[in-house]
Amino acid sequence: MTPSPKPESPELNALRGVGGLGLEAVRGTGALALVAARTVLGLPRLERRELTRALVQFGYDSLPLAMATAALAGVIVVLQSGLYIQRFGARAFLGWASGYGVLWEFGPLLLGLIMSARIGARNAAELATMQVGGQIEGLRGIGLDPFAILVAPRVVAMELSMLAMSTFTFMVAILFESVAALFTLDLPLRTFFGTFAHMLSPLDIAGGVVKTGVFGLAISLVSTAVGLSARGGAQAVGRAAASAVVQSCAAIFVLDFVLTLLLAGWMA
Amino acid sequence: MNRVLSFFGAPVVLFARTTRAGAREGVSWRECMVQLHELGGRSVWLVMSGMAFFGAVLVTIANSQARRFVGNVAVLGPAYFELLIRELGPVVSALLTASRAGAGHAAELSTMSVNEQVEALEMSAGDPYSDLVAPRVVAGLLGVPLLSTLGTVAATLSAVAVAGIAFGVDGRAFMDPRYVDGWDLLAAGLKAGACGLYIPLAAAVAGLRARGGAEAVGAATTEGVVTASLGCLLIDFAVSLAFQLLRL
Repeated sequence: MTPSPKPESPELNALRGVGGLGLEAVRGTGALALVAARTVLGLPRLERRELTRALVQFGYDSLPLAMATAALAGVIVVLQSGLYIQRFGARAFLGWASGYGVLWEFGPLLLGLIMSARIGARNAAELATMQVGGQIEGLRGIGLDPFAILVAPRVVAMELSMLAMSTFTFMVAILFESVAALFTLDLPLRTFFGTFAHMLSPLDIAGGVVKTGVFGLAISLVSTAVGLSARGGAQAVGRAAASAVVQSCAAIFVLDFVLTLLLAGWMA
Repeated sequence: MNRVLSFFGAPVVLFARTTRAGAREGVSWRECMVQLHELGGRSVWLVMSGMAFFGAVLVTIANSQARRFVGNVAVLGPAYFELLIRELGPVVSALLTASRAGAGHAAELSTMSVNEQVEALEMSAGDPYSDLVAPRVVAGLLGVPLLSTLGTVAATLSAVAVAGIAFGVDGRAFMDPRYVDGWDLLAAGLKAGACGLYIPLAAAVAGLRARGGAEAVGAATTEGVVTASLGCLLIDFAVSLAFQLLRL
């Protein structure tokens, strides 16, 4: 890389910025595609012990946090929909409205955001520490594939944990919703679950599970790609962790919109 | 029990110490501005684009829910608009800010702790609370409400655009401030302000506690983001519950 002469005009600077952005986008997409492809290739030689460790870390250890998030999300949805449900005099529909909200929107979205904070940051930090410390090079040096050992287990474990946790957290959220409706709006549980069962189909649950699964895939791919592309010293580790969280959050919001359009269009 | 106590107690203690140190030593306004740019200026694109997508999702949901009963967005729009102003605008913006600023603060402060720069600051008669934590807290208190406002505006505009383009409804039906009153704005302001206070504190607790090497930095960053996000949800819940109980 020869240092290029500094451009004087603001137009050139702007052009430079646009070009830099474009390059960054292409580079990011390429890194993601590479990580995804190498992960798929590494699947048959996936490290079992690492997989079980990651499953315990991502799934079991995140359960309390996921449960707390789900409970809060459920109560918040009820507190809020209670406002306008009473206004429209449609108290009976609360079960359906809040169930729909949690299954389709708030459950997957909040679970995705919290998990990207917890797992995405940790993944990126671990892999960045290894990358900066030269341990990844060391693995390659003794003829082992870092993707099969480090990346593939994380991606698979994240996917399994997210899918397993999604139905579980939805159940907790709906349970808390019904109790909150009982206490704040004096809505009998029978009414709540009546409209809930009557107006929601299993397809709605499937929609939430699909969303959560896609978010999990996005989080694991983005965070491992960011972690592996870290360069520099100790500072790079912190930077990688922070940028993994930000990028997974952005990815979750974009995917949320795309999936809502697709699933709503397909089911309507 | 211990973990619960430290989850709630550590930020409170840190806040008390920061206020005391800030009152004693004075807080550099220049540093506050720098931190405000760090927290606000750099998160603005993330918050606005995230909220724009979120607004589009919200109007899609409102439309599909309204079609089950009667008509279109025009029926449920105003109710969803109030929901956005009072609830989702501040909280989702705060969560996005928590993921960005919380991670940034925790990573910075833990790198400083690990490299013993915090001790060096104390040795040179500086005070870590008034020099490092206080400006970040001020920036959070100012920045998160501003970011929430911008995020809510972005979400509203994108909802109106999506309603107009995709559903063929006059999007202005969504922006109907029929149900929005002063209490809604108060609830939104309280949530945004409290989240803005909590995010830097949670990140600073995690960051200043870090000991060890590069791994400690990663661990502190994770902890900072998780506690900041969970704290935002808890604050949201507490404010909503208080308003519900007071029947406002």
